[in-house]
Amino acid sequence: MIGQKATDIRLHSAPQRKSGVRRWLQRNRTGFLFILPALLFYLMFFVQPFFNTVYYSFTDWNGVNPTKQFVGFANYIRMFGDRLLWLSLRHNLIWIAVGTVAPIVLALPLALILSNIKRGRLFFQTGYFMPHILSGVVIAMIWGWIYNPLFGLLNYVLRAVGLDSLTRGWLGDPNTALYAIIVAAVWGYFGFCLVIFMAGLQNLDIDQIEASRIDGANAIQRFWYVIVPQMRYVLNMVIVYTLIGGFNVFDIVYVMTRGGPANHTELIGTHTYKMAFQENQIGYGATLAMLMMVLSLVTSLLYNILRNRGDAES
Amino acid sequence: MNHSMRSGSSEQQHGSVTTIHTSRARWRKAVSALLQYLLLLIVLLVALAPILLMWMSAFKTRQEISVNPLALPTAFTLSNLVQAWTVGRFGQYVGNSILVTIPVVLSVVLLSAMAGYGFARHQFWGRQFVFYAFLIGLMVPFQSIMIPLYFNIKNLGLLGTYWAMILPAVGLGLPFGIFLLQSFFRGLPHELGDSARVDGCNEFQVFWRVLLPLARPAVSSLVVFQFMWTWNAYLMPLLLLNQEALRPITLGLMFFQGRYTSDYALISAGVTIVTFPIIIIYVAMQRQFLRGLTAGALRG
Repeated sequence: MIGQKATDIRLHSAPQRKSGVRRWLQRNRTGFLFILPALLFYLMFFVQPFFNTVYYSFTDWNGVNPTKQFVGFANYIRMFGDRLLWLSLRHNLIWIAVGTVAPIVLALPLALILSNIKRGRLFFQTGYFMPHILSGVVIAMIWGWIYNPLFGLLNYVLRAVGLDSLTRGWLGDPNTALYAIIVAAVWGYFGFCLVIFMAGLQNLDIDQIEASRIDGANAIQRFWYVIVPQMRYVLNMVIVYTLIGGFNVFDIVYVMTRGGPANHTELIGTHTYKMAFQENQIGYGATLAMLMMVLSLVTSLLYNILRNRGDAES
Repeated sequence: MNHSMRSGSSEQQHGSVTTIHTSRARWRKAVSALLQYLLLLIVLLVALAPILLMWMSAFKTRQEISVNPLALPTAFTLSNLVQAWTVGRFGQYVGNSILVTIPVVLSVVLLSAMAGYGFARHQFWGRQFVFYAFLIGLMVPFQSIMIPLYFNIKNLGLLGTYWAMILPAVGLGLPFGIFLLQSFFRGLPHELGDSARVDGCNEFQVFWRVLLPLARPAVSSLVVFQFMWTWNAYLMPLLLLNQEALRPITLGLMFFQGRYTSDYALISAGVTIVTFPIIIIYVAMQRQFLRGLTAGALRG
């Protein structure tokens, strides 16, 4: 768009308008120059692929042919009959449900306790957050070891306490594979929630909590009726991050199970990747990518609506 | 309460009652504090156990690991680490990660500081629109654009070079960086830079000499996050940097695991080589990590 504006300027640089154009350019030049390098990168590596995804999703293409065949909405219609996609979506929903509730239930009480103590807050925060700085690949490998049927820690501990009947190949068993991966992901994520909650707790209105204490509210009532409403911003933020993260999971699942056993841990992210880059169905892969885009955008939008409504109320 | 009671009545009896009362309260408080610390410590140990056990295993023999994976290493053998380093080519992988990460971080910081400054402190035609266009980049997942991106990079003839990842990673890192720095620059007083302008500095010098140094807290948070994202990236190099000579550490680790599926002495050594430096950097820069997040959360 900036480029187009530049040609406008050249077209209109007839003598009689020169001074006005020059003034316009002068007024805008500094700002343009500061954002131009960033904008060029962004146009090339985000905006262009963004619109090309839309375009590809209406084509049938194997990635090699010189021509992409236009197929209209065929790929979108195909999605409805794609049983693997529905299965993947179901797994994503399980991921989101467990992966949203578990880290919050773990991190919020922990943050409350942590904000109560006087010394060592930073120490504990640093420790809890540590798993979050690890790459998904590393998390997947650590937990792959824990879940290993022969050498794994989990089976070792179960055997040590006499629960041999529970031992299994956690990632190979269709009943446990997805949940086993979610546990690993929650481990990598709860410290992030905790740090965000700590930030929210630092902003609490202490007077309100004191007032409710004087009014005779017990700890649980204070938590539920005074602290949680004040933490609404922060809770919303964490939930949206988790939702978007839950739709887009890839690394940890792909490294741990590749979507197996027998698609029992298939998610939209792995399904899209496989369609596009292993099955070479670029058009349909792009359609699945569109679905992921829509899910993320809708979630973000919902967050903004919620936040604005919250602003209006307070 | 204690104080007012004492000053209100000087009677001996009264005073001793309050002391008992407060000492009991103090005792209860100390116990509850102790319990809280204990709980926090247990959770901390459980949370860090997977990492610590992995590190410990790197120094154990294969036999030790299979007999008791929880025990401390007795022999402290270094042979796993040496072997992983030599056969696993971790030196090369780490080198690749550095070659990709450093240019990405530097470019993202410079470009988003400039753009953030432009958005925050200069008026220009289309400002609002372009800024919102950048914000959309925060919400769209990488998978939604990866397919055309891969073909673009391929058509540009960049596959097989480090540029294949560096250039798009810069473009995709910008939305967050711009968002962070824009809001920082917007918070600075408006008169800043005026005196430099009076002294004859041009706009770039004003940015470079006056405002950018002030943005250090935001910049250091951005450095830390961008470093972490680029260093830990998996899907992007899987698509764009998947040649043996170019593989970064995340891909290298995965291929290493593929070769030594159940040899947990070697795998834990590999994981240790990869995680230990990261965790050292993290502990050294914990404030930047946590502050960056906190700033984001407080902005709402």
